[in-house]
Amino acid sequence: MSKYTHFILISWAIFAFSCNSNHRHVENLMIKGSDTEVNLALTLAETYMATDPNISIAVTGGGSGAGIAALINGKTSIANASRPMKAEEIDLAHLQGVNPVATVLGMDAIAIVVHPQCPIQNLSLQQLGAIYRGDIQNWKDLGGADEAISLYGRQSNSGTFVYFRDSIVRAEYSTQVKQMNGTAQIVEAIKHDVQGIGYVGIGYILDKNGAQSKGVKVLAISRSAQSTAYMPTELKNIDSGLYPIVRPLFQYTNGKPTGRLQLYLKYCLSPEGQALVKQNGYFPVSEIYWQQNEQALNRKHAKATLH
Amino acid sequence: MKPKLAVRNLHLHYGTKEVLKGIDLDVPENNIVALIGPSGCGKSTLLRAMNRMHDLNPEAKVKGKILLDDDDIYAPGKDVVAVRRKIGMVFQKPNPFPKSIFDNIAYGLKIAGENNKQKLHAIVERTLRSSYLWEEVKDDLDKSALSLSGGQQQRLCIARAVAVEPEVLLMDEPCSALDPISTARIEELMLELKKQYTIVIVTHNMQQAQRVADLTAFMYFGEVIEFAPTRQLFDAPQMELTANYLSGNFG
Amino acid sequence: MQKRHFIDIAIKWLFFGAAATSVMVLLGIFGMLLFNGVKAFAHISLAEFFFSSNWNPSAYGKPSYGILAMLTSTFLVTLGAMLLAVPLGVGAATYLAQVATEKTRLILKPVIELLAAIPSVVVGFIGIVMVGPFIARVFGLSNGLTALNGAILLAVMSLPTIITVAEDAIRSVPNSFKEASYSLGANQWTTLIKVVLPAAYSGIIAAIILGMGRAIGETMTVLMATGNALAMPRGFFDPVRTMTATIAIELGEVPYGTTHYYSLFAVGALLFLISLVVNLLAENLAGRYRYKL
Ligand SMILES: Nc1ncnc2c1ncn2[C@@H]1O[C@H](COP(=O)(O)OP(=O)(O)OP(=O)(O)O)[C@@H](O)[C@H]1O
Ligand SMILES: [Mg+2]
Repeated sequence: MSKYTHFILISWAIFAFSCNSNHRHVENLMIKGSDTEVNLALTLAETYMATDPNISIAVTGGGSGAGIAALINGKTSIANASRPMKAEEIDLAHLQGVNPVATVLGMDAIAIVVHPQCPIQNLSLQQLGAIYRGDIQNWKDLGGADEAISLYGRQSNSGTFVYFRDSIVRAEYSTQVKQMNGTAQIVEAIKHDVQGIGYVGIGYILDKNGAQSKGVKVLAISRSAQSTAYMPTELKNIDSGLYPIVRPLFQYTNGKPTGRLQLYLKYCLSPEGQALVKQNGYFPVSEIYWQQNEQALNRKHAKATLH
Repeated sequence: MKPKLAVRNLHLHYGTKEVLKGIDLDVPENNIVALIGPSGCGKSTLLRAMNRMHDLNPEAKVKGKILLDDDDIYAPGKDVVAVRRKIGMVFQKPNPFPKSIFDNIAYGLKIAGENNKQKLHAIVERTLRSSYLWEEVKDDLDKSALSLSGGQQQRLCIARAVAVEPEVLLMDEPCSALDPISTARIEELMLELKKQYTIVIVTHNMQQAQRVADLTAFMYFGEVIEFAPTRQLFDAPQMELTANYLSGNFG
Repeated sequence: MQKRHFIDIAIKWLFFGAAATSVMVLLGIFGMLLFNGVKAFAHISLAEFFFSSNWNPSAYGKPSYGILAMLTSTFLVTLGAMLLAVPLGVGAATYLAQVATEKTRLILKPVIELLAAIPSVVVGFIGIVMVGPFIARVFGLSNGLTALNGAILLAVMSLPTIITVAEDAIRSVPNSFKEASYSLGANQWTTLIKVVLPAAYSGIIAAIILGMGRAIGETMTVLMATGNALAMPRGFFDPVRTMTATIAIELGEVPYGTTHYYSLFAVGALLFLISLVVNLLAENLAGRYRYKL
């Protein structure tokens, strides 16, 4: 052992001793993952640290995949993911002796936007899927004008791109989809394109007071052709799970969280934590996830996945 | 005899510097006039004034007249292009275009509207022969003119100037880059050309002036000091400056 | 004497070192691209890579790795940009070098050079909010996120390079060529077109190649302004996704060591090769025609 390590050990011992003597014990938490969630996670962590001096939380981004990989390799306490873990990822985790448990931090609704002059008011999920698969190519098939549909989407490095494909399109995207470099550009393009349609995070369409802005028209979406269509611009539609394009934002831990980790996750789900979620442009956890969160945080045998 | 080209009280300034100070000179038709004088006295400047080359230089201001067949080439509204077509020029440094030998000579003809291939070929051959270059380049007419030696380039430039058949040919030290044999050939050529053209030549070679020129002008600091038949100027100069210069006392 | 000799040798080695370093860096980059790119072909057939127009590595179903569509896109956008920028750029360069007064030149030059200082994100944004909608209106399209939009923007971006380099080339044509032409009875325009521009030929070609390099390699602008649809473009009015845009979009998310990862290197290596071939070709052309025109 070098002199240097001796020094570190000794100072660590002194530090630990002095902490003990004051009945203090600082716990270090690492949060890593989704870039969508990173700002929200930072806000939550900072607010929480202000209330509990015995905890230190470091938040980094890198993408959902990177966070999940870190969790599997035991390099992080919480992995943020804007998509559920894939089956292979869960298998890999089990191989490494890691048991991923998910809590839902909040909801991200995806709005379907068109040009204000578009006569269409609502679409069903099937229609939406068919549009983005390229099966429906003309607005007249939806009751609009006889014009080609001009498709806008995100680029393949976006979680929204993957979520929308896997949950709504459920096949390859049409090759005609214009892959825009960010949400702002989708909105900017659709403002100018009467034939355009695009998907964007609802946070971008609503301002702080919940009023709709940005010069585009938001469509109401129904689960099927027969059922009622709902607008994502109303909180109650998200809350009740009536609006169908809502994705949960996950926080994965290794096994059921305990100790300060559990306290922190509970804080995130507390009214105070959920208010911060709302402030960051997302929605509070929907009722349908409450029970699952409860299970993850309080019951003995938590399940790995949520659906 | 009426002069082919007449310079009348010509002044030229480069910016504020007066380089030509009231030149008067008559160039008779089918004569060779030589301009001699020390370096920097304004020979090239005068020569260039004769086909309005100074138009390219915004610094140069010309005053006075140059009459071609009694017609002032500096008259307002005068067609410069037409003037230059009648007054050709061979420059002090050989300046062939970065084109083939053939295209160099055909250039002036083509821009004048001559597109008949056979005719072009005939003229190219004739002018190359007359400038004694034909034998050396006849198999390489497609080669770049820049691949020729300096002397060959100068002869090409002469052929190029002659090809458009100007009335007056201005030559600025055409032989300064040539060996004695080429020089002799150029001189021969000038004497031949004299039958059809009127020639003004700048030279530092006194023997050359005596061999080819009918008349010689001695210039000094922007003025023509003495202008006389060549024999007379060299054998019995009237002015002391001329005598000094010819005896090699300066310049 | 000794010291002088030593300095000479030191300077020689210094320059050799500088030259060698740049060559090594270049070879290193190409080697790295090739080394990684080749690995892609363990799982992709050459036929698919070069002759399929389907590029979808992070597919819902089976991934596909055909580059034909993006190759066509890059070609289309670059071609369009050059069709616009070459006449404009060479024209402007000629004007600046031969026609404009010194005063005009002193005003115009910095303005043109300033064009080069506009960040490509800004150009891309202008493409989305101004040029694109303009194209849509003029040609009656629903949107302007097309190859044409990219071509126009890239033309603007390569203009400063083309103008600056071409102007230098035209300006350095010796005055004696012009004098020779004038003395044979040519007017200003004949002289310009038949003598000055041909004499500046190799420099102008170099300018065009540099501008083209800028266009082929530009990423952010096309990424933002051309729509990035994966379909094979049928013309200038279709959205395109170029090779650079593909690399930029996908390299950020791709896990290391996967076929997708290596395939992006293969695309990069190909892009590098294309630039190289274009350069060599141009140099060859410039050399061959230098004294012929
Ligand atoms: N473009 C120019 N701008 C300013 N001054 C010039 C220019 N060209 C020539 N001069 C000046 O004009 C004077 C005459 O020059 P010119 O070239 O006519 O001399 P020259 O008699 O032909 O000399 P040389 O025998 O050396 O060729 C010189 O003092 C020269 O410095
Ligand atoms: Mg001279």
